[in-house]
Amino acid sequence: MESMIKKFQQRFKKVQREMERWEELQSRLLSQFRNASAIIQRLQVLKDIKNYGSLNCVDGIGDEVLMRQMASLQKILILMNKTLEEFHSITLSLGKIHRDARQMVEGGSNQLCVKKLQLRIGVKPTLADCLDGLMLLHEMHQSEYHLKTSLVSALSVLTLKPNPGDLSALQQLLVDQPNIPIEEVQNIFNIIFAEEIS
Amino acid sequence: MVDRSRTENLRMEALDPATPSSSLSSYSYSKAVNTDFRSPSSTASPLPPSVSRLWRPAAQRNLRNQWSKLAALRQQWNSAASSGRSHATSLVNAYLSEKYMPSMELGVLSDMSDIRNKASWKLFKQQELHRSKVLSSYKDLVYVVTQMVRLSKSMRCYLKASSSTPLVQFSGCSEDMNDPGDGGGIPVFAFRSISCFEKLAEELVQMFIFELNLKRLLVLELLSLRCESSMVKRFNWSDELYAGEYDDLSVCNLYSGGASEPVKPRLLVSKSDVPTARRTQKLNHETMQVYLTTWLVEVNIDSDRVEEIFSEIREEMHVNIS
Repeated sequence: MESMIKKFQQRFKKVQREMERWEELQSRLLSQFRNASAIIQRLQVLKDIKNYGSLNCVDGIGDEVLMRQMASLQKILILMNKTLEEFHSITLSLGKIHRDARQMVEGGSNQLCVKKLQLRIGVKPTLADCLDGLMLLHEMHQSEYHLKTSLVSALSVLTLKPNPGDLSALQQLLVDQPNIPIEEVQNIFNIIFAEEIS
Repeated sequence: MVDRSRTENLRMEALDPATPSSSLSSYSYSKAVNTDFRSPSSTASPLPPSVSRLWRPAAQRNLRNQWSKLAALRQQWNSAASSGRSHATSLVNAYLSEKYMPSMELGVLSDMSDIRNKASWKLFKQQELHRSKVLSSYKDLVYVVTQMVRLSKSMRCYLKASSSTPLVQFSGCSEDMNDPGDGGGIPVFAFRSISCFEKLAEELVQMFIFELNLKRLLVLELLSLRCESSMVKRFNWSDELYAGEYDDLSVCNLYSGGASEPVKPRLLVSKSDVPTARRTQKLNHETMQVYLTTWLVEVNIDSDRVEEIFSEIREEMHVNIS
């Protein structure tokens, strides 16, 4: 029983590492998003030849600058999609950690009854706590991944008809990560590693 | 602080250093160079075979040297262009803040006497500082391009005619009219003759020359930024931006002696040679944004092609130059 909880705790450590990677990706995605939205906001200005001032003496400058910015934007969008793929791989890995854990509990000879699942030894978490925690963390990240995917596609739609308000709303959602409430996550880890905290 | 957001809109986000670019011409370019490996004069080598054997290592050494210097200069260009951009952004931000100072909502501070004037004065001083920094970045860019031009013309390796020693020696400058310095057009490494290397270098350097010329226009505009109250000199295209600039520009073929002024900027991809008249308009916030963006995107430099040229050279020489 105790060894099983130890195994679970190891799994949570693994989840923690995945979540650290998630944070790295999050800041990467954010800076990509900021770059993209800076370009999108510039596009309208760049389209108007009146804004080129003295540069107008250079034949064709407007088209060329605009084309370069569009190309940069295209590249950034591709990079963002790559970042999304990495987010996806994290959700897959969290899913696998949860699935494996469930099999460990349910499968094979050591089938555990409900009572055992909820058996509490000192400050240690119950097996049910562990299973629920893993499931919750997986679900949070999975929903957040879906949200990010739709934010990125909303961004590419905005390229055509930009609106500063929409852009900042999207960015705020991206920053907030509403599907991963920090307190709740902290709470899960507090329960699992209660003995280390006290 | 009403205008703060306006000002901040202008702040440029740092983009990926490798600014993406695209040029449709790049493929046709590389094909043209690839099919023409040997120079037309490759039929008759003026060097006797024994000398030719010695010429090759000397020519290889020289080319390796020049190309690794070119690669270093390109990095120098990147860093000068990027610091120039951040100075330009600071300059524009200080200028816009000063411009909007009279209408700025100061809240409790408005009770303080003379606060607006003091703030404006400070912003004006800031602009002075940023102006000098923009100019010094421009100088760095000019220096880089003059060095590139010099290097691109030093690809050849000539036989040194010396009677004092029986040893065969080579040098970078021609002493004999009959020696073109290209070893008779033989491949220096695997495939390419000296003139192929020269063509690639010229194609590369040309991009930077054109971009330098465009950046000069931007520097000129940025240095001329001023609010109505202040006494900032408005530069003309024919003004020398620093002492000796015209000598440097002549090296890059950017100074037209006939017109007694620098060549008018144009795009490398543009077909028309005739510049349209320079229109002076009221400089607004949007124009500043366009200027800074134009500085950033380097329309005349096809960075994919630059990359391609360096990797072709690397492959040919079997060395790592970066």
